[in-house]
Amino acid sequence: MVSTSQRTWQESIVDALKANDIHLVCHVSDSVLAPIVRNLESDPEFNVVTLTREEEGVGTLTGAYLGGVRGALLLQSSGFGNILNALGSLAIPYQIPFPILLSARGGFLEHNVVQVAWGKAVPETVESLGMQYFSMAREDEVPFVARQGIHHAFVSRRPTVIGIETQLSGGKRGS
Amino acid sequence: MEANPDRQRPERADLTRRIVDLVDDDTILVSGIGNATFDLRALAGDRPLNFYMLGSMGQAISIGFGLAIAQPDRSVVVMEGEGSVLLNLSALATIGMVAPPNLTLVIWDNEQWQITGGQALSTATTCDLSAVARGCGIENGATPTTVAEFEQAVRFAVDAPGPHTIVTKIAPTPGMTPQRDDPVSIKLNFMHALGIQPD
Repeated sequence: MVSTSQRTWQESIVDALKANDIHLVCHVSDSVLAPIVRNLESDPEFNVVTLTREEEGVGTLTGAYLGGVRGALLLQSSGFGNILNALGSLAIPYQIPFPILLSARGGFLEHNVVQVAWGKAVPETVESLGMQYFSMAREDEVPFVARQGIHHAFVSRRPTVIGIETQLSGGKRGS
Repeated sequence: MEANPDRQRPERADLTRRIVDLVDDDTILVSGIGNATFDLRALAGDRPLNFYMLGSMGQAISIGFGLAIAQPDRSVVVMEGEGSVLLNLSALATIGMVAPPNLTLVIWDNEQWQITGGQALSTATTCDLSAVARGCGIENGATPTTVAEFEQAVRFAVDAPGPHTIVTKIAPTPGMTPQRDDPVSIKLNFMHALGIQPD
């Protein structure tokens, strides 16, 4: 599919969050996500909370949803490893929906061997929890996949992962 | 090592009942995994604005944090064991930074993982959770040692801007009736009580 928009893929993600009535964004540091977070922080529609550790985001977004506010969690592959028990024993059994925008590590363009094993395991782990992993690898697919992937969380009443692949993001720079 | 705290301290169930009696009907109560939930459910199971956490050890204070953000006009009181708070200490740093004024964390400290056999925790010897919370920027911290002091701390916390912590040393009394309500029912009942339509 071809995007008709002139928006950058990062702006398309912000558009998708707005289209799905997301108002609370919890995040932990990542260089790919940083420009998106800066964009959200300057937008009065969003309340942006910088977490100390990713697992807090599952509890925080659960509380927010119970209180009538939809939220999203932004993290890196490694941070997804920090939230597994909270997904399995809180968000999934209580049917708490929120999108997880995940900056992928460990595949193409990776420079650090220690990112490889868990990076490969993330999509399989998401599937094994009965959740969907929607992948975004090309700029032209971002408007559709981001919007519909976020929407899917609320349809399926559980967290849904939208993976920002390194082919799209250029990966993490540095050594 | 097994813990051996003072059995003359106030009991969690008694203090839980006093919270329920002191707060108004609009106040949200959140209870953490295990004994905090068992006591609240046994004592006030018909209270609509109770949210019971069944798993996800450590997350009750974060759930309360999210609720405090989403419901700024209500007071949110979380009841959580010290072992769970120690497991999610990072959340205290986040709560201190964001500082929701309507959030109170009541931390039950019997100095042990009681439900798994009474293994001693760092609060029995070296860790001062009230000082940790203050160090994270949660400046309103009470450490009541009697029932009367506890009631005074709860009254202050739900009236004055927070966030607040109330770290209470309690007797090692076992929790009341274990409960295994359906988690989706807990969610739906709670959201219904708030007048919110779930997806």
